[in-house]
Amino acid sequence: MTDDTSSTDSANTADRRGGILGALRNPGDYFGSLRRAEQGVLVFVVGLLALLAYGVVSGGLGPAYFTYLVGLVGMYILLTFGLNVQWGYTGLINFSVAAFFGLGAYGTALLTADSSPIAGQFNPLVGLLVGLVLAAIVAVIIGIPTLRLRADYLAIASLGLAEVVRLIVLNEQDLTNGSAGVRAIPGFFEGWPLLETFPQTMPGLEIDTILWETVVLQSSFWQGLLNVALVTVFVAVTFLVLRRAHQSPWGRVLRTIRSDEDLAEALGKDTYAFKMQAFVLGSIIMALAGVFYAHLNLYVSPGDFEPINTFYIWIAVILGGSGSNRGAMLGGFVVIAIREGTRFLGDILPATFPIGLPDMLSIVETTYATIIGNFASTRLLAVGVIIILVMRFRPEGVLPPQHELIWPGTVDSSGTERPERGVRDAKTGDSQ
Amino acid sequence: MSVLEYVANGLVFSSIIVLASIGLSLVYSIADFANFAHGDTMTVGAYASLVTFGVVGGLGGSILGLPYGFFVALVAGIAVAALVAVITHRVIYEPLDASSIGLLITSIGVAFVYRSVLRLGFGSDFTEFDITLLRPIEWLIPYGIRMTRHDVAIVVSAAILVTALHLVLQYTDLGRKMRATADNPSLARVSGIRTARVKLWMWVIGAGLAGAGGVFLGLYAQISPRMGFNILLVVFAAVILGGIGSVYGAMLGGFLIGMINQLTPLLTDIGIPIGIEYANAIAFVIMVAVLLVRPSGIAGEGTT
Repeated sequence: MTDDTSSTDSANTADRRGGILGALRNPGDYFGSLRRAEQGVLVFVVGLLALLAYGVVSGGLGPAYFTYLVGLVGMYILLTFGLNVQWGYTGLINFSVAAFFGLGAYGTALLTADSSPIAGQFNPLVGLLVGLVLAAIVAVIIGIPTLRLRADYLAIASLGLAEVVRLIVLNEQDLTNGSAGVRAIPGFFEGWPLLETFPQTMPGLEIDTILWETVVLQSSFWQGLLNVALVTVFVAVTFLVLRRAHQSPWGRVLRTIRSDEDLAEALGKDTYAFKMQAFVLGSIIMALAGVFYAHLNLYVSPGDFEPINTFYIWIAVILGGSGSNRGAMLGGFVVIAIREGTRFLGDILPATFPIGLPDMLSIVETTYATIIGNFASTRLLAVGVIIILVMRFRPEGVLPPQHELIWPGTVDSSGTERPERGVRDAKTGDSQ
Repeated sequence: MSVLEYVANGLVFSSIIVLASIGLSLVYSIADFANFAHGDTMTVGAYASLVTFGVVGGLGGSILGLPYGFFVALVAGIAVAALVAVITHRVIYEPLDASSIGLLITSIGVAFVYRSVLRLGFGSDFTEFDITLLRPIEWLIPYGIRMTRHDVAIVVSAAILVTALHLVLQYTDLGRKMRATADNPSLARVSGIRTARVKLWMWVIGAGLAGAGGVFLGLYAQISPRMGFNILLVVFAAVILGGIGSVYGAMLGGFLIGMINQLTPLLTDIGIPIGIEYANAIAFVIMVAVLLVRPSGIAGEGTT
């Protein structure tokens, strides 16, 4: 797989050596060197960020909420990384993303919150550790019966697991506070020197923007900024670890298992052990996202275990490109675009169809009113339709993994000529 | 409540689970993927019959406390569920160039589309059939069984449908073709069986039974857009217990899981503090245990 693409992509990879610096030095050339899908993605991400920035500047979006949204993007990116390790690298179908996320969130919430029914008021670092360990244990427990079997057994069992975890959290009131959820979770930096009081010590700033609004930065904004910094660290560390792991011999075995498990077994690999490692690693990353969420939102409830949250992440992974970490990052943005986009559209669109239509077309008006009036349902519909469309028209995703599978050092940067555009575009379709 | 009462409830609930799990198992054996939209197909059937019943009304007389109109609605529910499944097969699954795993993931999307469309059309609240609730049958009460004639109707109808399916599978041409296709699709095709047509029939039968299960579930409990998805875990547990892909295994698995599900209160009665809210969790535990000990289920062959 990598052999096919390495020759054509080597020039491309060489371009990338310049990386961000190169892109900044000569943005036009950098943009031209990208494939069409990559250009589209770049435009989408920049456009989304521009829209958010416009929201802040024009006063439509509070700066604190803006940092909250950016934090959520980071959280979704982490979740997508986790599922990517399981499905993208190894081909394991995990339908209990929300459960592992929730385990991380509840693990830390129950240990750190003032209102926790069992322990409470530990340092969030302890909560982090416990959340991750909890997820790892559950992953092993569910992995033991299913990972030796065909992939669909894990899918079925994990769907059940998600439901059972939700039931337990909902019903064991003495342990988890039941449907009321856990409130008063401290921020992640509680108990840290300096950072704990950072938001209070920062001055409140008033910034006059070019537009008509004045943006006021208060301590809630600084708190949000701190969270953004935290999630950036989480995402960056996870990304680096995963990139290293994916390119390593370990990652190669996982990819072999995904494409042909019998082959991996015939080569003497203990596929069960590899699958278990990938499954546990992915689950821990999901729990990490959960820990972050608990300290971002400061409140967790059984609603966080809803299956739809799992399938947001599935969309992110298959749309971004299964097995590709760049794709996973894109997926994180897409999920936020769906979630916040539908909310935003619902706010700005009029509740009834704006143009008067003849009676014959009254069905258009009623359908429109129904769709605008029922947001959760519309969102569910969007999720379903996107899954079907991606599987039908672009099962490899928008940014399938290519050059990121190649060791930077193994590519001969001087040798090959840059091929014609058309050739490369044709190539992108058939390699996955 | 007596043990007999739980068994009676179990019998009714089992009938519903059996109908659902047969369909799921058929799809698994012939279309070769785990259909996560199966639960929502049940919901589609339930809503179709709800609407039909609202339109046709009672139609005069009644059998077992159920007006004639309800049976018309039942047929409509079966037909609509089958039709929706066939259309889904034609429009979505068939053009898809995907493995069984790809189909599995797609079926999740299909499930969401079904459910969200129902929610957009009917709202997400609970509703029920406009049929007067009956008092329990008098002469059973001394034995500690509180069972209405509606419950009897569910069990009898399910038994008729299952028997009909058995006859079709064993004694008709279509049944033989279906079994051959399930056994070895390539061999069936070179033997001259039009497997594409068999697949369509499989969807009709599987989804039709699911629709019937949905209608009965709506009659037994309530109707809501989530009802099918909520029961999907139990149905999967039944199919795995019976042996994935085996229709007769699914009948047995459905019966056992349905029964165990309704016997859950016994645990509290004998002092184990696991309440009825964990009935689905018990189905899950059984499923995991089966996967550990005998992944091929009761009736399945080595399908690892």
